[in-house]
Amino acid sequence: MRMDVAFCRVMLGGLLLIGGNAHAEDWQVGLDWLKVIAFAAHQTEYSGVFVYQYGSHVETSRITHVVEPDSEFEKLERLDGPKYEIQRHHGQVWCYINQKMVQVDSRQTHGKFPDLLPEQISALGENYWIKETGMERVTGYNAQTILFKPKDSLRYAHKIWAHTDSGLILKAAVLDGKNKVIEQYAFTQLQIGGAIDRSWIQPSDLTDTNLSQASPEMAKGGASANGGWVVDALPAGFKKTMEIQRPMRGRLAPVTQLVFSDGLSAISIFIEPDNGDEGEGDGLFSRGAVNIYSKVMSQYLFTVVGEVPPRTVMQVLDSVRYNGR
Amino acid sequence: MKQEISALMDGELFEDESDSLLGRVKRDSATRDDWEVYHLIGDVLRQPEHIHCGLSAKVRARMQEEPTVLAPRGRTAKHKIHTMAWSAAASLAAVGVVAWMSMQITPETSPQLALQQTALRPASAGIKNKTNEYLMAHQEFSPSTGMNSGAYYIRTAAYQPGEK
Repeated sequence: MRMDVAFCRVMLGGLLLIGGNAHAEDWQVGLDWLKVIAFAAHQTEYSGVFVYQYGSHVETSRITHVVEPDSEFEKLERLDGPKYEIQRHHGQVWCYINQKMVQVDSRQTHGKFPDLLPEQISALGENYWIKETGMERVTGYNAQTILFKPKDSLRYAHKIWAHTDSGLILKAAVLDGKNKVIEQYAFTQLQIGGAIDRSWIQPSDLTDTNLSQASPEMAKGGASANGGWVVDALPAGFKKTMEIQRPMRGRLAPVTQLVFSDGLSAISIFIEPDNGDEGEGDGLFSRGAVNIYSKVMSQYLFTVVGEVPPRTVMQVLDSVRYNGR
Repeated sequence: MKQEISALMDGELFEDESDSLLGRVKRDSATRDDWEVYHLIGDVLRQPEHIHCGLSAKVRARMQEEPTVLAPRGRTAKHKIHTMAWSAAASLAAVGVVAWMSMQITPETSPQLALQQTALRPASAGIKNKTNEYLMAHQEFSPSTGMNSGAYYIRTAAYQPGEK
């Protein structure tokens, strides 16, 4: 089976060399779309209800995104089950836990949410075949479909439905190697622009006053660092985008987080001293397209999180080593 | 090798092929590791809650400490007896021996198994909280957040029915 895949890849590579020009154009169109999409995600005001599904699990949420001069506000509310809400603003993430909003993350940004970097977008072409796959209708809007097919089996395929006018993503699906949907979300109702509810925006509430009440140790976002950790078996094209020492709830010491990205998916590696809790360590967990693998090795607890297949998070974790200084 | 294991799990191998592969799994520890990894992946695909790895090794270790390796068979043997005892009176004497054996075995094994399950359960609540925090911290830097804003933050919110 694997031999066949390798063989196909060689064949495909050959074909691409011959038809290289045509393909390059496809890529370019795909990459241009991505820039529009990334821009739209930040600059468009919208409010809508979407369904998120993985396996047999289906749930409904409402997302509201408004743009103020120099800043963005976003509210995500789960509409099914127990109340759960996340608000994002100015690099800060607030989460509704135990009847109150608690800040779970804070980062020094310039008012905007983290953007897709140009180098991330160009890296995409190295790791995925990008193809426009036609027009479809989603929630009453016309959408362009774009397929990102990975060049190896260590990552998933992604398909997105982008609104042809605004570039907003109306629907997105993650597919495995057999084209089976692993998770998807789709708007069922969406208002783009117009009068969008802003009553929930309370800038004074979302600043330092609540911060002290919530959890003081979370106030600072974490410092960038280089702890000397090396990962040998990352899939090709994953580049390190971040390494920080971050506080995490319930931990005494800061946790080291390394982030690697191939432009579409990311892999985070968390490293913390093992507190010896029985049974908390080794294990594999999945939620939708995200797989999480934890393992205790030489008194550290390693946790790898990524929108990549289980095999990949396991392979990555097993290749982390300390490059002693 | 790996694709053979995968094929075996999917039931795509012929009988003689599976026999020789299973033989190899038994003998070779690297192959056995692959075998376990594939099953772990399969388990997590079918049931995405936290799956412990190395569980079979732990169970094996526990079984070594058990008074008899036959232990897990106790239940099936007993179950069979019920049906057989009613239908075939002629073999009552033989059944009696087996029933006596299973009574010797079951009282000891079942509490052990129950113990093992309760030992695993409390940990999963802690793991769930931790998992949400890892997801939250990860989501912040994922390119998916740059592309479709915060919709994927819903991954940190997903709950299982039955959760408070």
